[in-house]
Amino acid sequence: MEVLLGITGKDFTIICASKAAMRGATILKASDDKTRNLNKHNLMAYSGEAGDTTQFAEYVQANVQLYSMRSGTHLGPDAVANFVRGEVAKALRSRRPYNVNLLLGGVDPTTGKPSLYWCDYLAALAKLPYAAHGYAQYYCLSILDKHHHPDIELDQGLKILRMCTDELKRRLPIDFKGVLVKIITKDGIREHDYVDDKQILPA
Amino acid sequence: MAGMFAGPQEMMGYSFNTAPTSASEPRQHSFYPYTDNGGSTLGISGADFTIMAGDTRSTSGYSINSRHVPKLFLIGGEGPKNKGARIVLSVVGFAADGDALKEKLDKEVKMYKYQHGKPMTVSACAQRLSHILYNKRFFPYYVHAILGGIDEEGKGALYSYDPVGSYEREQCRAAGAASSLIMPFLDNQVNFKNHHIPGSGEGHDLKPVVATPLPKETVIELVRDAFTSAVERHIEVGDGLQMMILTKDGVEEQLLPLKKD
Amino acid sequence: MDALVSQLETPRSQQELYNSEEEQEQLALSLSPSLKFALPPIAQSQAWLRAMTDDYSNPNCPIKIAHGTTTLAFRFQGGIIVCTDSRATAGNWIASQTVKKVIEINSSLLGTMAGGAADCQYWLAYLGMQCRLHELRSKRRITVAAASKILANLVYSYKGMGLSMGTMCAGVTPQEGPALYYIDSDGTRLAGNLFCVGSGQTFAYGVLDAEYRYDLTDEEALELGRRSILAAMHRDAYSGGFINLYHVKESGWVKHGFNDMNPIFWKTKLGKGEFSNVTADLN
Repeated sequence: MEVLLGITGKDFTIICASKAAMRGATILKASDDKTRNLNKHNLMAYSGEAGDTTQFAEYVQANVQLYSMRSGTHLGPDAVANFVRGEVAKALRSRRPYNVNLLLGGVDPTTGKPSLYWCDYLAALAKLPYAAHGYAQYYCLSILDKHHHPDIELDQGLKILRMCTDELKRRLPIDFKGVLVKIITKDGIREHDYVDDKQILPA
Repeated sequence: MAGMFAGPQEMMGYSFNTAPTSASEPRQHSFYPYTDNGGSTLGISGADFTIMAGDTRSTSGYSINSRHVPKLFLIGGEGPKNKGARIVLSVVGFAADGDALKEKLDKEVKMYKYQHGKPMTVSACAQRLSHILYNKRFFPYYVHAILGGIDEEGKGALYSYDPVGSYEREQCRAAGAASSLIMPFLDNQVNFKNHHIPGSGEGHDLKPVVATPLPKETVIELVRDAFTSAVERHIEVGDGLQMMILTKDGVEEQLLPLKKD
Repeated sequence: MDALVSQLETPRSQQELYNSEEEQEQLALSLSPSLKFALPPIAQSQAWLRAMTDDYSNPNCPIKIAHGTTTLAFRFQGGIIVCTDSRATAGNWIASQTVKKVIEINSSLLGTMAGGAADCQYWLAYLGMQCRLHELRSKRRITVAAASKILANLVYSYKGMGLSMGTMCAGVTPQEGPALYYIDSDGTRLAGNLFCVGSGQTFAYGVLDAEYRYDLTDEEALELGRRSILAAMHRDAYSGGFINLYHVKESGWVKHGFNDMNPIFWKTKLGKGEFSNVTADLN
């Protein structure tokens, strides 16, 4: 029960991922970071098969950085997303595919426009204003459909995110140990101090 | 007979027939390159000796193929008779894999001697055997191996292995078909498991007997008792008992009869 | 640079490591662990291996590989405690009661063994070799982060081939202080304060989580490690034998015995009145 959420606004993208690392019936870690910085303005969050996730993320991370070293330019959010999709698609047709679901959040440093891409393990890519993976989809997309607007401010985005995480806490049968929230703006990627120690019970 | 591509060991059926299979029906063939040739082996190490033993019966299913197929091999000696060898390997399980394993280890121990001008130590040989077994981690040797020798300090050394090469130095180990019969006997008689010193205390304060290395004569007796008893209760064990006694002076081989039924 | 880059770009499993047969033979003769493994001459080698060796999905499988364990390790103010049981099982058969499940990689690094005994023994020995090579090449000791990553990348390259291992790397280095990593055969690698691994992990977690604090004294920490393993040995049939206890400090690891669980169990029961599910006398 991994939670992956992404929300864009006027000049920012929020990426949110659950903190639990589970193996069988055991939570091995309650402060896991399921994201990797691809470059200054692009963040990737991942879930899926153990091992595949970090291996794929670090492989992609290294290659995005390698591209910058070779060319002296930085890949923008659209280029990064299409490159990542290509890598998932390539692996999908190989002997052993990567079983990973991804959210790619970014901000174009030149135009300042935020972007969010959703990509599943079958390499289906979609550019969306808000997105989720796993069970979070069933609970959060309806909330986002109702409350999201393309030109919201950051505090409004965080308010909607709070509604989403509260609902997940209220209804998901398995504790996902809270979420890690990262915000991408034209100034780069920063971790948001997201307080979620409050217990939330169904009415 | 169980061929390379047959299923696991087809036994004689009961009086009713199995449903006839038509030729057009798809039949699943599976790759089964193993048979169990039965038999049992054991090894016990003492203060300055190691004794390895194994029965000599070879079976497949309920039939006895031969009454004299040795499971103990001298490793790293000279010439076809392996003269002067100081390490003994015992293998039980699938005899062909056992043979292949013996050949490979023997070759490598010999090559080591030719290249380095000195014989391989038992501890080095033990690690090498582990690596040989692990090299077939994805297509394992169907064997349980035990390696015996005398270590650099002159003490008896005994190493036991699982089919893919995990290994451990031990005082004693039984392997093969009758291992579940022999090993508890060895725990009791060699390591004195669950023995207490009479009158050393009451209830839980009773002091356990501390295992000390046994004299050679006692160990030989234990080995004979272990095998004669195993023959009584296991169909795959019998015919002959091959024993190798390793000391600083070399290896002495003994062959004793066991019941032939 | 380009050679290095191309090496990094292709996964290890696709790299041809040794080319000529002669070279391979030479390698087989050298006493170092090799990376070339024999494969069965069929297409579905993974499924075949599982049918032959996985006694969990097929209790009648012909080759039984030694399994089963409880291991734990936790970080605290005085370093890291590492504690394990010593039982190896093959199906229902207790193959050994004297397994050394703490593997001494070098004088300051420890590895633990859960899952396939041979897999852990072999790959931790290989890791020890890589750590020594790192030392020789860079003139400084490897960090626990780097050592654990070597192992994680290695097992990941064999993912799906049937390796089975759940291991912890514990060590204290000048750069990191006390560091603890969990690595398993599906490629997971996690840093953390506390891990329990193996069939008895839940029982060990139960005792350990309740009394764990970072500011435990050395004596308290050793006792907690011992008691947690004892709990698992008592409840998990696949764990038992001897309690193997280690303490990793800045100066390196210290061994705190390989002790029979039985007297410790009775001392805990009769001395402290715990384990009241067990009747001490027969009446």
